Amino acid sequence: MENAMKVTGLRKVFNQHTAIEDVSFNVKRGEIFGLLGPSGSGKTTTIKILTGELLQTSGDVKVLDFDIAFFKTPDFKSRIGILSDNSSLYDRLTVYDNLKLFCKLYDAPLEQIDVMLEEVNLKDARNKAVSKLSKGMKQRVLLAKALIHKPDLVFLDEPTSALDPGNIAHIHRGLQKLNEAGTTIFITTHDMEEATKLCDRVAFLDKGRIQELGNPNALRYKYSTHAFHVETFDDKRLVIENERENADEIKELIATGKVKSIQSDNPTLGQIFLKITGKELV
Amino acid sequence: MHTQRIGAIFEKDLKDFMKNMMLLMMPIAPILLSIMYSRLGDGEEIPISMLYIIVGVTFSAVTSSSMMTMMAEENEKKTLRGLMLSPASFMDIIIGKSLVVALITAVSLAISLFLMGIEPFLSAQAIIGLVLLFLFFLFLGIGIGLFAKSIASTSAYIMPVMFLFGFTPMIEFLALGEDSIAIKVADAFPIMQLINMHDTNSWVPIGVVALWTIGAALFTYICFKKERTDD
Repeated sequence: MENAMKVTGLRKVFNQHTAIEDVSFNVKRGEIFGLLGPSGSGKTTTIKILTGELLQTSGDVKVLDFDIAFFKTPDFKSRIGILSDNSSLYDRLTVYDNLKLFCKLYDAPLEQIDVMLEEVNLKDARNKAVSKLSKGMKQRVLLAKALIHKPDLVFLDEPTSALDPGNIAHIHRGLQKLNEAGTTIFITTHDMEEATKLCDRVAFLDKGRIQELGNPNALRYKYSTHAFHVETFDDKRLVIENERENADEIKELIATGKVKSIQSDNPTLGQIFLKITGKELV
Repeated sequence: MHTQRIGAIFEKDLKDFMKNMMLLMMPIAPILLSIMYSRLGDGEEIPISMLYIIVGVTFSAVTSSSMMTMMAEENEKKTLRGLMLSPASFMDIIIGKSLVVALITAVSLAISLFLMGIEPFLSAQAIIGLVLLFLFFLFLGIGIGLFAKSIASTSAYIMPVMFLFGFTPMIEFLALGEDSIAIKVADAFPIMQLINMHDTNSWVPIGVVALWTIGAALFTYICFKKERTDD
């Protein structure tokens, strides 16, 4: 599959501080790629370089076949969408006026405004001033703003922070629909459930370096102890290794109707991050 | 430059201006001052220096101040970043904002000068002088707005602009004497040059104001380069 993004040996130094060091990864077209890491791990610096807001100290970056020298061109900017923790709206203007501005800046048809408001579940807030919206509603307007021009590649920095579970589910469905339509999504999140559910691949970033990269389920399997946790109706908890010789034992438990629950030992992405870096992913 | 993007920024900034009480008060100040000045004296002709005080107040309080406040608010609320990440160029953004400021300045100045007496400004030379002076104050507003990180900080920056360049003719009221260095220095300032232009009908003051405008444009360019290269 063709790459939407190719990053090789990326390094960024601010004065004496190295923010990212030797970061390399590819993002395939149509993929949802998650960059996971705690605050200060280098996620924002990486996104800023990938969107042309910062220049790297060394290393190569190619996004949508554009070299970094062309990241400030309208051609490049009109093909990407960005939602970051620094994204902002004009408080005194209505939701519609905010989106209209960006529709015009990106040469998108104005009909897109109502389509996007439907997507982010904000049709009723169309004519409300942004200052009157809750934090979660503002976040959804920002998401609509990032997607209004149907970009080929979207950078989403914590897109569902400040949202309630109902709206998170709505946004997830919207992102999956967007991805099915061919949009590549580059996402950073602290929500491991979100990363597992949405991402085709994730990279763990810590101290400016990529510590692990792979498909969430493959990583969970890789860091698993390959055992089954079995709970029986007589409140016994058994740990049975996932070995061929234990098949009969499990079969026997199921056949005799003793099994209350049976779970694999696959760790969550948060547990894997903790295991690799010794840090909680917050 | 892209006219649709400039138009979009103009429309957004005009709507935002009309909903911003702080900015809306700015064009009213020179109009109120004009009403007061026009009632002074017993029907005598208003001195040209007084007319230029109104021009100075309009350009400093409306042009420079509005521009730097709009830019500082974009910086403070991080909305400028959204515009910079869009396909709009920095020139599109600045031109869109400048058109709003030009419109508001023109309305405020026209009303003020109609109240005071617009006749001295109805010549090509005077209009060229006003346009150059507008650009000088506009560039100062853009330049300062680029490094002003908050709306609160603009009030500190607007004071020197107002007192040095907007109220320059008031130095005559300080009774410093003709030989005072302060008076001689002030005579080289843009508004004093335009007053001099009316007295002498010479084009040299226009040239001096043009140099001030080029200086302000360079100042804006330096501020822009500094802001763009900061990591």
